Amino acid sequence: MRDNDADGGRLAQTILAHVLAAVEARELELGRLDAAAGDGDHGAGMVRGLRAAVAAADGPEGVAGDILARAGTGFTDAAGGASGALVGSWIGAIGRSLAGADRLDVAAVADALDAGQAMIQRLGKAKPGDKTMLDTLDPFLRALRRAVETGATLDAAWAAALPEAEAGMRATAEMIAKRGRAARLGERSRGHVDAGAMSLLIILTAVGDVIRQQAA
Amino acid sequence: MRRMLNEATAFREEMIGGYVAAFGRYVAPVPDASGVMAVGAPRAGKVAVVVGGGSGHYPAFYGLVGRGMATAGVIGEIFTSPSGEQAYRVAKAVDGGAGILFTFGNYGGDVMNFAMAEGRLLDEGGDVRTVLVTDDVLAAPPEEAEDRRGIAGGFYVFKAAGASAERGDDLATVEALTKRANARTRTIGVAFAGCTVPGQDEPLFTVEPDRMEIGLGIHGEPGVRTSELMPSREIAKLMVDSLVAEAPPDAGSRAAVLVNGLGGTKYEELFVLYDGIAPLLAAAGIEPYEPLIGEFVTSLDMAGCSLTLHWLDDDLRALHDAPAATPAFTRAG
Repeated sequence: MRDNDADGGRLAQTILAHVLAAVEARELELGRLDAAAGDGDHGAGMVRGLRAAVAAADGPEGVAGDILARAGTGFTDAAGGASGALVGSWIGAIGRSLAGADRLDVAAVADALDAGQAMIQRLGKAKPGDKTMLDTLDPFLRALRRAVETGATLDAAWAAALPEAEAGMRATAEMIAKRGRAARLGERSRGHVDAGAMSLLIILTAVGDVIRQQAA
Repeated sequence: MRRMLNEATAFREEMIGGYVAAFGRYVAPVPDASGVMAVGAPRAGKVAVVVGGGSGHYPAFYGLVGRGMATAGVIGEIFTSPSGEQAYRVAKAVDGGAGILFTFGNYGGDVMNFAMAEGRLLDEGGDVRTVLVTDDVLAAPPEEAEDRRGIAGGFYVFKAAGASAERGDDLATVEALTKRANARTRTIGVAFAGCTVPGQDEPLFTVEPDRMEIGLGIHGEPGVRTSELMPSREIAKLMVDSLVAEAPPDAGSRAAVLVNGLGGTKYEELFVLYDGIAPLLAAAGIEPYEPLIGEFVTSLDMAGCSLTLHWLDDDLRALHDAPAATPAFTRAG
């Protein structure tokens, strides 16, 4: 738990840099997953977006929310495509929610993730089970909420929620895509995990790494 | 796959650079934005028609910018929709005060990003409408026709929009005629081989030697289903039968016809295909109006083709016949 001050802003910059490195390391794998049902550029788009997000987060210091809001705008503009709009708007919505929080505690983070997920659902009009990034995010957020109710710290709650996110991501392999370009393929979209769901798991895992190091 | 390439990350920028260097008589780059606009834009009192999408589809979309067609094109990375920010900047640059019509293929990324741009322009008091191109008959059943994706038929939709705006129609009229053009346009496509994105080693999908994909995407997506490889005359029959079965209400008997090559299927093959299509159209009671055969919406080097029928009424025929001058398409009128 920490005050919502410029230290939190620096933490947000650290998180973004760590997320970029984690996604860069998996760029080709994300591209191959996307090629199963789409055009194979998901990894490249995520890396392009995150580089711009890290660059936008640099500069004037601020609270974590302001840093993330800037990063989201940078991500969306550089990445383009559906994932650019969705992931960039997700980061931005998380930022705007956190900017209004009194303290950077687990409740504020859960509320921010709620706001982020609402933004994705409004823009993409998908729901859990449609073989999208929501199949990672939704079980993660539910598990995070359950952990918060038991009084867990952010570090412990995040660690408890990650396996649920991974299970959700893995379950997309058996789903038929309902949204996005893959949706045109019907049954042929089955058999591969969704690239966006995998991306979000990589991001959530990388964020968890930084939170754990901070807590240690 | 060997490509004309420096660094893959610079591909889009250099592609636009060469394009505007060659075609400055038709188009100019939009300052500080990823897009091109017709020379002379903005024009006071004329609706601005803004098209766009990912690149890799030339002449769609930016090749169709010029007098009588699109006022501007927003250009994304290969097969990636441009961002809302870029669509906003391009639209602002060509706004002549009579409103903006966005028209582009119905893909999730394009829909989300152009919607962001539309929202900002509306918040600023602008007048903006959007017409999605939904011509691919195999992308969804007829009762979900508005969910279909846009492929080669976009050419006729953009032509109608641009001609309507050029003659000074107001935004509501341009929107209504563009919607009507889309509602009377149907396309079906097949693919024989996938395409390879510049900078990558492998094609996005492969097709077995004795098979073909039916219901292609234009971003290297596999088809909706595969089939035995058919001779051209059977592909012609499949295409004509599928489109005739989906003729719009009050179709009439006159249709503009577009046989589109996707990049790897060349003109001579398209003529062979049309040799099969022409008598089938006649047998179905359709009078082909000024057929076009060539590359209008491509998918990089994908092998395959599509057939589009654009059923004309008197209004749409006038828009079809109106003059146009763009780098990729010219009509004397």
